[in-house]
Amino acid sequence: MSRKWMKFMALPVMAAMLVTGCSNNNGNNASNDQASDGANGGTNNAAATNAAANATDGKPATWIADRTIKGLIFMDSDDYTEDMNPEIKAEIQKRTGINFEFELMKADHSIDGLIAGLAAGDLPDFVAFYLNNSGRPEMPVVLKAAREGMFTDLTPLFKDTKVFSKYLQDDFLPSDTKNGVMFRPEFNGSTYFTHMNIDRNGGQVTWRGVGGPYIRKDIADQLGVDPLSIKTTDQLYELAKKIKDGNFKDDNGAPVTPIGPRFWGGREVGALFNDLEWGADDQRIKQTKDGKILHEAQTDYAMKKVEYVQKLLKEKLIHPEFFTMDESRSTEGAINGTWGIIADMHSYQDFNQNMRYVPLSPINQVDGPYQKVVSFKSGYSAWAIPSTTEKPEDIVKFADYLASREGKLLWKYGLEGRDYTLDANGNPVVKQEVIDLKAQDPNAAKALGFAGVGNNWGDILGSTDNDNKADFGEVNYGDNASANQFPAVEKIAEMYGLDQQIKDARVVDAYQPTAFLGEFANGTELKTAFDTYNDSLVQAYYSKSADEAKKILDSALKQMEAAGLDDYLKLLADKNADPKTKVLVE
Amino acid sequence: MQQVTSASKPGRRLWKSIVLHRYLYFMLLPCIAFFIIFSYIPMGGLLLAFKEYKFNKGLLASPWVGFDYFKAFFNSYQSKALIKNTLIISSMKLFLYLPFPIILALMFNEIRSKWFKNVSQSILYLPHFLSWVVVIGLVQRVLAPDTGLLNQFIAKLGGDGSKFYMMEPNSFYQIMFGSHLWKSLGWDSIIYMAAIAGVNPDMYEAAKIDGASKFKEIWNITLPSIMPTVVILFILSLGNILSAGFDQLYLLRTPGNMQLSDILDTYIIRVGLQGGQYGYATAVGMLQGLIGLILVIIANRISRKVSDTSLW
Repeated sequence: MSRKWMKFMALPVMAAMLVTGCSNNNGNNASNDQASDGANGGTNNAAATNAAANATDGKPATWIADRTIKGLIFMDSDDYTEDMNPEIKAEIQKRTGINFEFELMKADHSIDGLIAGLAAGDLPDFVAFYLNNSGRPEMPVVLKAAREGMFTDLTPLFKDTKVFSKYLQDDFLPSDTKNGVMFRPEFNGSTYFTHMNIDRNGGQVTWRGVGGPYIRKDIADQLGVDPLSIKTTDQLYELAKKIKDGNFKDDNGAPVTPIGPRFWGGREVGALFNDLEWGADDQRIKQTKDGKILHEAQTDYAMKKVEYVQKLLKEKLIHPEFFTMDESRSTEGAINGTWGIIADMHSYQDFNQNMRYVPLSPINQVDGPYQKVVSFKSGYSAWAIPSTTEKPEDIVKFADYLASREGKLLWKYGLEGRDYTLDANGNPVVKQEVIDLKAQDPNAAKALGFAGVGNNWGDILGSTDNDNKADFGEVNYGDNASANQFPAVEKIAEMYGLDQQIKDARVVDAYQPTAFLGEFANGTELKTAFDTYNDSLVQAYYSKSADEAKKILDSALKQMEAAGLDDYLKLLADKNADPKTKVLVE
Repeated sequence: MQQVTSASKPGRRLWKSIVLHRYLYFMLLPCIAFFIIFSYIPMGGLLLAFKEYKFNKGLLASPWVGFDYFKAFFNSYQSKALIKNTLIISSMKLFLYLPFPIILALMFNEIRSKWFKNVSQSILYLPHFLSWVVVIGLVQRVLAPDTGLLNQFIAKLGGDGSKFYMMEPNSFYQIMFGSHLWKSLGWDSIIYMAAIAGVNPDMYEAAKIDGASKFKEIWNITLPSIMPTVVILFILSLGNILSAGFDQLYLLRTPGNMQLSDILDTYIIRVGLQGGQYGYATAVGMLQGLIGLILVIIANRISRKVSDTSLW
């Protein structure tokens, strides 16, 4: 066949392929439009198939390189399993050429492992670590490593990517990620770590769970109390007294404790004492109405809260080990119905899908009625490429693949046919047998090797630009299968008025007040003094008198002042005045 | 020429001795290698106490910072309390605890029933093999407010029964010392029992003939005989005067007792290692070692002067 004829034949074939490609895409409903939008970085399954067909040299378009990429993960989570499922691993290699391996470096504290790993200097192709925000303890460590030339500049490598190139846009990253973590002014446009788990859209609330204090529904019903009417700590006190007087019993016939600890173990719980809490319970820094930034110890609220907790303890309305109880005991108490009120849990807890516990209303704040605060976006965990890694662009391309819709489908849902099918809209419908296996034998399910069954290897490099609803037509894994894994979640959300709260929420894009400790000269001392204050507060709860409690808190305040509290608060005021570094103090 | 010959003589003699006892020296080799590899080479890491560690430069090339870390520690508002707490706890474990295993060993020595001796020894040795995590877990359960064994007992006797001992600063030393005693007493008595076993029985026979009572035998024969062992162990323990026992204290620490339970070991972990300040942690750790070494040398000298017992 002559070349001329070849050209004539090729034209209609190309046109037919184009039409076929378009009609496949058009078959998707509106919910999938975003996913197929190239600007969003998502490529739906049909598009991926076409891409594969268009590939040259017999390799798919997603091909990166024939190499092994090895990572070292400084995270102590059980969500990652080094032994990847062989079929998933083979599929990754088939699509990208990459033989992906990683090693978990578990330590009592993940930061210990990170420091040891960096100090040893023998690093693989990439490292990953926890990094909630620039105030996290890992930040000074990785910052030091970056300043000392340990990591590769990722900015030029992001330019040619589909998903991570969004990190270079002005409005994609939240302020802290952009100016505090990644593109710090000192780096002059370079970046050495990739902050992960950034949502595609700002102010997006995809989690349908309701967190906070819960009350046993039968107790609330018997007392004739509407849980959503409890909006102050005074009302909470009265409710606790009623529970005590009601002589309720748990599943074992033991008396119910009116207020029990968190589901996950004892500690301070801000949500239970909002109207006595100055700032978030892990920060304790907030601005007064006249604009002065103060630490809780510098306000009257500390003593008010001490007096309140002492009253609860004295009258046996709160469990005496509320602040220290280990997780197994507090969880057991929740499951047995021993706590009339659970200080903190959420609606996805398996044990509560029969809605034995229902949420209390959020307690008002110190300066007015409760209003939900939603982060514009927030980051979680990060990865970096050591400067010793050859061809770092391969790692960035691989991360970009995992962050694409096709990549996410693989590491979130597993293999088509084996673990899920696609519905008419191209969205995954999880197979019932996978859901059953997950319920009956979670470890066997985890061996299938993807996030939906609890094996989250893919989110290390791929979880960002997240919008499950747009990408997969469901917010949570398995929703499309109507598997009803968490029947209580939507009911509780509705009862709680979650949608209205989200609608009324204040969206903020700001730094946490402790985010600047790393750049504060006396940061380590002050951090220790903050921790000591937290302990002192609990100590004060258990003191014999108000005077003794006052002495304990005053001593903790003096320690914080000696460690530079006033200078730090001034630094916060300066940062807050800069639009690039707004601080969450309101 | 004469000088050279005489100087080389001891060396030659040593060499001849080594060749003669080569098999014994060969057996010593693994031990020497072990100490070089695991004890002396790591000592090079003490350099960190004087260096600002740079990831990319390594230990040797990182810049010197002199005594900055030591200054920072002594300038810290916590240093006084940390040193005080450490000294109090370690002194309790050193001085107050010292007679208990000796008394136990003396008691074991007087038990005539072999069966009872074996059973009671086994029971008392067992806690040594439990980890501090388990021991402190037990302590927490026994001392829990309302539901703990002790509180329930007090409640049965008509008391309040709601005291939260783990949160009480006043109960901290008793809990700390009691749990240490419970865990270590049996095991630590072994060495004294070995020393007692080495006492010449003829002395007891002679004392009996002279009409000595059991107490006199213990006071005049057993105790003086095991005194060198007691002194040696005491001098060695002094080396750890600033190491009050990390595991136990880390697990016992609660917000309620923290002003008493925070010690140098827990501080090193919390601020030094978890904060990524290896140099600072090394400096504080080095202080512990140095002070321990100085105390051992002083105690050894005193012991050598006042008695015939000393380490060297």
